[in-house]
Amino acid sequence: MKHRNENDDLSALFERFVPSSNAEECAEEIRTADGLLRAHPAPQPRPEIIVGIKLAMAERLAERHRRPHPFFRFVGAAAAVIVVALIGILGRGPQSHPEVSHAALIPTAIWESDDLASDDHDIAYFASEIRQIETRMRALEAGDGEVEAVATLDEVEMELMRINTAFWKE
Amino acid sequence: MGEGAELTQIIEGCKSGYADSFAQLVDIYAGRCYGYFYRLTGDRDLSEELLSELFMKLVEKIASYKGGAFESWLFRIAANIFHDHLRARQRRNKLLDARRTELETAPTGWQKSDETDVKIDRLQSHLDRLDGDTRELIMLRFYSELSFKEIAALRSEPIGTALSKLHRGLKKLRELMEG
Repeated sequence: MKHRNENDDLSALFERFVPSSNAEECAEEIRTADGLLRAHPAPQPRPEIIVGIKLAMAERLAERHRRPHPFFRFVGAAAAVIVVALIGILGRGPQSHPEVSHAALIPTAIWESDDLASDDHDIAYFASEIRQIETRMRALEAGDGEVEAVATLDEVEMELMRINTAFWKE
Repeated sequence: MGEGAELTQIIEGCKSGYADSFAQLVDIYAGRCYGYFYRLTGDRDLSEELLSELFMKLVEKIASYKGGAFESWLFRIAANIFHDHLRARQRRNKLLDARRTELETAPTGWQKSDETDVKIDRLQSHLDRLDGDTRELIMLRFYSELSFKEIAALRSEPIGTALSKLHRGLKKLRELMEG
């Protein structure tokens, strides 16, 4: 089979760098050596290797289809940031207007419960969770690298969902 | 359909994520890429590993192919994989300090695996006597089938330099083979 680079006009190419009397000789030397390489072909990869490569590629493609698109990951992370920021703002509320902010955060079940000891414990737990999230948000804002940030945001998002679910189940 | 148009269609299929299109690329280029790796390493198992790495990288990077000679793009990745392998081996050799003497006495550093299974041809043994850069240039031109202009661009060196290195290298190789 003819190689694509056989279309190179070697003589013309050499003429740009060596005297034209030598150019054809140099070109001929390259053509001869090319023939030598063709006469000693390298072995071919084993068929099972080729099959394995094709399978691995198909698997990688399937994996990529399963993974959420980076855009959705970004949207999820952004949503988490907004929600966490809102909670952070509301969480800081108690310092100035404790009654209002607690009323907004605490579910009716706890608000109307008579079991004060248990409710205090729950509230302390949720407050500490929110403080932890706030701390992480500050660390993210300080910027610890994009990849790490996305991973951490995912974790924060998951944690937030978990807390939210647990919280409203009470 | 022309060869170029057919390849363009296959690449478009790859960009759309079709496994069949990637399989077609493997069928077209596996032999040449394997030959390239084999002639540089002299090791069948290692060449298969590098070949596999190349095609897996293709899955990740195909979206970044923006046209031009596909072979140029493909063999640039192949060359980078080979260089990464060399660097990793250098690091490994440093770690294996205790075994340094043993490693340095290997013919040219290329590992020959399972020699009973692989008949090392005369060409391979003579190739090992060329310097690494020249050997790489010769193999890049032969297996990628790129023009001198494309090779010079791929290697970021003037065309005259590439031409002169290749001429000297091939001349030496021919003398070794005939000697």
